[in-house]
Amino acid sequence: MPQPPLRHPGNHNNAMKTLIAIKEQHQSWVRDAFPNMHPLLLPLCNKPFIEYLIDFAILAGSREIRLLSDGSLMEIEEICQTGSRWGVELTYANIRPEDGERELLHKNRKFCNGSRTMILNGYTFIDYDKRLDYRVLANHSATGPIASCSTGSIAFAGSPEPAADDNPLPALRITPLDSLRSCYHIAMQILETGAERYVLPGYGSEPGCAIGRNVAIAKTAEIRKPVSIGNNVQLLPGTIIGPMAVIGSNVIIDKGSSISGSIIFDNTYIGEQLEIEGRIASGNTLIDPESGASVAMEDPHLLTGIHSATNSATLLRKTIHALAAAILILLQAIPVIILYPLLRLQGKWKNGPITQQAGLAETLAARLSLDRFPLLPKVLLGQLAIIGSAPRSNSPGCRPAVFSYAEAEDWPVTGSDAAIVERYHAVHSTPFNDIGMTIKALINRPHKRNAGAAA
Amino acid sequence: MNSSNITITLPGELRFIRLASKIASNTASLFTETRKTEAENWEFAHAFELAVSEAFTNAVVHAKKQAAPQPVTITFTLEERKLTLAMRDSNVPFSTRTPSPDPENYPENGYGLLLIRTVMDTVTLTRENDTNIITMSKTL
Amino acid sequence: MTITETTGSTHTIVTICGTLDASTAPDFRNSPAIADPSRTVVIDLDKMDFLDSSGLGALVGVLRRKQEANATILLSCMNPPVRKVFDITGTCKLFHIFDDTDAANDYAATYLRGR
Repeated sequence: MPQPPLRHPGNHNNAMKTLIAIKEQHQSWVRDAFPNMHPLLLPLCNKPFIEYLIDFAILAGSREIRLLSDGSLMEIEEICQTGSRWGVELTYANIRPEDGERELLHKNRKFCNGSRTMILNGYTFIDYDKRLDYRVLANHSATGPIASCSTGSIAFAGSPEPAADDNPLPALRITPLDSLRSCYHIAMQILETGAERYVLPGYGSEPGCAIGRNVAIAKTAEIRKPVSIGNNVQLLPGTIIGPMAVIGSNVIIDKGSSISGSIIFDNTYIGEQLEIEGRIASGNTLIDPESGASVAMEDPHLLTGIHSATNSATLLRKTIHALAAAILILLQAIPVIILYPLLRLQGKWKNGPITQQAGLAETLAARLSLDRFPLLPKVLLGQLAIIGSAPRSNSPGCRPAVFSYAEAEDWPVTGSDAAIVERYHAVHSTPFNDIGMTIKALINRPHKRNAGAAA
Repeated sequence: MNSSNITITLPGELRFIRLASKIASNTASLFTETRKTEAENWEFAHAFELAVSEAFTNAVVHAKKQAAPQPVTITFTLEERKLTLAMRDSNVPFSTRTPSPDPENYPENGYGLLLIRTVMDTVTLTRENDTNIITMSKTL
Repeated sequence: MTITETTGSTHTIVTICGTLDASTAPDFRNSPAIADPSRTVVIDLDKMDFLDSSGLGALVGVLRRKQEANATILLSCMNPPVRKVFDITGTCKLFHIFDDTDAANDYAATYLRGR
């Protein structure tokens, strides 16, 4: 997500350091609820948790931040890297689960280098306000903790500067991030107070409405502030988003559904005519944040009871798909007969990426999607659909096919976001729409490849 | 650019582990692209250095159980942005059933495959005609 | 790989220079302060350029034997390629890891006096 760089007002001759220490014991509930998510990346109003801590360290005047954990930090390191995105120097180190503040300081003595050091200890949310100058707090607070809660604290080490005047230090409140309930309430609080207080992702022409990239909103969809919407989102006709809705990235909200007081996590498809209020939805799981109860949908792909296609529709679909395949086979037969021996000779048939230096034959083969030719007879036999999910996907509810809906829609073909598009169309597309989608896939595929090679 | 292959055969002895992993990291360094950061290029080379050190050790430790050390053959396949490495040896097969070790028990072995799987994009283990083949690839 | 031992009154500083893998792990295990389970050691990793799972296994095994004998290992100045191996395997939480050898020395001295 794009982040506006936080600038340091005035000179920054102080060399305050920040240690951010987070232990697995405080994050275990995140690992249980979202097994594939690193707890430091837990999104709070579409911004990963760790970024709030980094923002606060910068507001307090730190240019050097060290992240400490008794668990793996590799994933975080890959995303945050050296911290240059924020204009800071970010380093990583490991601690033991039982280490206290004294040990943290001792183990990072070279980093702290006798400077004043702020220790953000634990899995907590710091209720900062970006308009306040926390450097005053950082420089003048007495040594020791200045705020604490059940899951962590903010503390200072090293001697403070004497206060120059009687300006009151800005107050700080920290909230434990210890359950789905707290995660929900914190996200809602951030959404309500909005971008005036926190640095938030997305763009909005008006306050209380942040919208990411590649968001398609139907004319009849209604947005009720405040909302935060991520990237690659489709809001279909008749949907009502908000008030108080956080929609993650790669999300589709289907016709007539309403989302309020709820968080929809990344890579989620919300089916038709659903009313989601006061919930967290993630993939196929719907969670009540107050009780912590969660329901996993039986159909792994749909958060609704969309009826599967009847048998007669299946037969019709198969027939139409077979017809389309037959036409494609006839159309592709001549170029295949000409190009196949040529490419085979060069060893370029089917394998290897299409490169910039591709020969004419190769480019032509890619443009005509000849690589899919060997799959077409399977459609005639009813083993594959002409369009559906990517050929290799075999998860339940998918329709393996020669072309995928994601290719037709020009969405990224890999990753779970493609699966979202495929699920959506698998439910909605009529056999006749499928023909149109197949043609779109034929047109879009070579375009995508070229874009990929040029990137 | 077509893909090109490089094949190297080393004696299956412990003292050649370092040579094997250095050959891998140097081959991976050929991929250095200016548009990637120094850290990303370094990580790519280190991934191959680590993965080969693990796979070679695995092949050689098993070889010790046999009468004479069997040679280990490493094939690199270079594509535009992808490096694939296949290591072949004719020793006893890999044991793939061992679960990842739990650090709480202070295990001294069993981290090898976990490390390879973590640093590589794809890893496959196969056995063909009494030959173990571990194939791994990574895209920069 | 070369190993240098500097023995103090309470503990020994072991400096490892080079690579710790299956070919060098036996030498590491046989180094006197490492082989003595009751001896607490600070292992300076500043000049260690590469570690793999065989080297890691040796470190974990030595740590276990030392802890059983009421001693321990403190690691200092870990480089990124070395830290990565600890991180992926989750063994980072078993060791005391310092960014400075002097700090590890001070910690070892107080830690041992405290018992």
